[in-house]
Amino acid sequence: MADTKSGRYASSSAAISPLVQGPENLECKNFQEYLRTRQTPETLEKFYHYPPICLAVFRELPEIARQFVIRILFIDQPVPQAVVSSWGAQKFAKEQAEATSCLSALNVWRVTAIPGGLAAWELSPTFKKSVRQALMGGGKPWPMTNTLDKDSKPRDIPFLDSYAMSRWRCVLHYMVGTGGRNGGSDAEAISPDAVRILLHANLMKRDERGGISITRQGFQFLLLDTRAQVWHFMLQYLETCEERGISLPECLSMLFQLSFATLGRDYSSEGMSNQMLTFLQHLREFGLVYQRKRKECRFYPTRLALNVTNKDAATATTAADEERMQERGYIVVETNYRVYAYTDSQLQVAVLGLFTELLYRFPNLVVGVLTRDAVRQALRGGITAEQIVSYLEQYAHPNMKLVESAIQSKSCLPPTVVDQIKLWEMERNRFTYTEGVVYNQFLSQNDFVTLRDYAQSINMLVWQNERTRTMVVQKNGHDDVKRYWKKYSK
Amino acid sequence: MDAADAATSTETEASIDLLVVVLDTNPSQHVVRQNPQNLTQILEAVIAFGNAHLMQKAQNKLAVLSCSHHATDFLYPLPGRQVELRQVDGQYEVFSLVEKTVKQQLGSILMNAPRLSSPCESLLAGSMSMALCYISRLQRNIGAGVKMHSRILVITGSNECASQYMTYMNVFFTAQKLNIVIDTCALDKTLSLLQQGCDITNGQFLKVTQLDGLLQYLLWVFLPSPQMRHKMVLPPPPKVDYRASCFCHRELIDIGYVCSVCLSVFCKYSPICTTCHTIFKMPGPLPIRPKKKKKPEKM
Amino acid sequence: MVNVMKGVLVECDPAMKQFLLHLDEKLALGRKFIIQDLDENHLFISTDIVEVLQARVDDLMDRISFPLHEKDA
Repeated sequence: MADTKSGRYASSSAAISPLVQGPENLECKNFQEYLRTRQTPETLEKFYHYPPICLAVFRELPEIARQFVIRILFIDQPVPQAVVSSWGAQKFAKEQAEATSCLSALNVWRVTAIPGGLAAWELSPTFKKSVRQALMGGGKPWPMTNTLDKDSKPRDIPFLDSYAMSRWRCVLHYMVGTGGRNGGSDAEAISPDAVRILLHANLMKRDERGGISITRQGFQFLLLDTRAQVWHFMLQYLETCEERGISLPECLSMLFQLSFATLGRDYSSEGMSNQMLTFLQHLREFGLVYQRKRKECRFYPTRLALNVTNKDAATATTAADEERMQERGYIVVETNYRVYAYTDSQLQVAVLGLFTELLYRFPNLVVGVLTRDAVRQALRGGITAEQIVSYLEQYAHPNMKLVESAIQSKSCLPPTVVDQIKLWEMERNRFTYTEGVVYNQFLSQNDFVTLRDYAQSINMLVWQNERTRTMVVQKNGHDDVKRYWKKYSK
Repeated sequence: MDAADAATSTETEASIDLLVVVLDTNPSQHVVRQNPQNLTQILEAVIAFGNAHLMQKAQNKLAVLSCSHHATDFLYPLPGRQVELRQVDGQYEVFSLVEKTVKQQLGSILMNAPRLSSPCESLLAGSMSMALCYISRLQRNIGAGVKMHSRILVITGSNECASQYMTYMNVFFTAQKLNIVIDTCALDKTLSLLQQGCDITNGQFLKVTQLDGLLQYLLWVFLPSPQMRHKMVLPPPPKVDYRASCFCHRELIDIGYVCSVCLSVFCKYSPICTTCHTIFKMPGPLPIRPKKKKKPEKM
Repeated sequence: MVNVMKGVLVECDPAMKQFLLHLDEKLALGRKFIIQDLDENHLFISTDIVEVLQARVDDLMDRISFPLHEKDA
């Protein structure tokens, strides 16, 4: 080890223990993380029977991995590992290794031996078949593609957008508890199933009086952009799938099929199982699909359902339309930290109140100020500076955006304010804590080096100094290291 | 991986990749005359390749142009509303749409094409200009803050002809200026002009000798987006023949005469430049030394 | 032989480390809490003190921060 003075080894993100973070924060997984952490190889294999899932998995893969898969997709024998690794440039060996391990973790390919004793990669036959089918054709048509008569009153995209947003906002309004108060019409209510998902996701909890109130995670959820909200919510929904007796692979497949559908086209629910029809009704409730009547076979996917896993895709393809769909920006932030919000919505005021000190309230305007205390309060609640800034950006008043184009800055917010919010966050993170065990007073340099190298080899070393013969090992690695030491010192 | 690298890779993930395929459908191509079935085979490979490109990322875009001896036509996408289509098999509907549209369009184009009495050259340079126009139109229409990377892939079995030299050069330098990469897949002969174009725009040039493996070749060399090509091992660039063609006979020449005013190239001395009508002084008693335009085979 | 102690490794900038040393020395948190001073950026402290410490540091930050805006303009 060249750096004998000191050094941190363990990756910091894994090592920071939740010592001082208090209650749990909202954890948003992307699709790949979801598959890696939640699913066993057997379930993955089940998933791969569905071409839409395979297509979604494929698009989630790292760039290099996608190239590898495409290149061996049409080869029928296993391909020697050496050959595959010769496809990538040497300089990017690390990236390539990541791609390789990702493909293995997702069970997209596996190691086999070929005659001659070489290790080779072979695509999972199910995955291969499904992807080939999606790409080249063959096999059975996907469900919901049955032919329909022409819709006499086809729904256009603006209609679907506004429908989807109004449905989705219902869920959000329910969360901040304004649904009931504002007249409590039918449109504002949400179904017991939806409530169950909110409870399951820890976005809301039952309080002592038997009512339901929003949790910390719930507030963090409100700060996400709509697409991330939908994805998080659907993931939670999928987790409750099995208990309802709905098959998870089928649901996931349908979700992705919707996400690959064409906006503004109608699809047919004919031939769907009862379970899938229930699922469809849920999607209808959240605004992911539009259906005129419950019994009607015809439905339209909305923008909420499209590209549900991929934020980039959505912003790239629909940047212009997105504006239309999002609520119009209503927030003005000034360099003196004042925030003017032209709104009368309880939801928006509640969210804003999370990180600003509200000063005045008018029928259509709320004035607040971003103070250190308010922002720190939010940070302490587990909201990140990034979330605050992105929320303010997302709902910035159109006039703020005019200024943006004039000064060619990346964000439409005053740079001072953005920086200050980030600084406030940083000042909280002047310490990183790692729970661990310190080893010192080694009798010989040899003992120290042996034990240190061992701890490092199992990736548990956090800090070491050869001169003082001191090392720190992660807490959960202590037993292992202790055992090794006992064996060694005998 | 450095932070910078990571940043560029997320940046590429978020951007739109537009691929415009210019497909030579001229029936007088050598490969097609040899066996008309070959055109179908090429078409299948191109469609599969196009779909593989669309499969990479949800925001990827594809356009296919057919180039013939008399016209250039869009095979995909079609202007206006797309063909109404329901899935007939397990193919993803967007992919079947590409396949159906391309085949239908090409069929009707070939049916309506004027009969040829003798083999004619393809208007490749013209088709490429059309592709450039299409790209720049899309570029104008994308939203603010969204990046679009475009490239053109030319697939041809024709011989190139020096008569389109000027158009080719204009296309290449325009593409270079707009940061559009030109890739070429030659099915028959090595094409020195297009090779220059690939070299100028940092594209890949590949000569495929066997049609059987065409799709695999396409997927290997042309599927990785230009932004990630440095991460893959691709065939090394061939030596590029940088000879210019003369304006008088349209032939590639090593050494020629260059007009000192407009830089037109001639293989024979003429007293008046045919391009800009400059009158040169008659050669005096000393023989005029011909100027070299460029060293041949300069790398 | 080897000596083993459980605790928490703290990584921070040198200034903050001095502040921690100061707190330790003055028994500001009621007792000594630093187990070992590792180097200029690292300290090893006892686990149970972390929350108190964090609150104390927040206090410090509160005291040295200056309101950036006037509330009633």
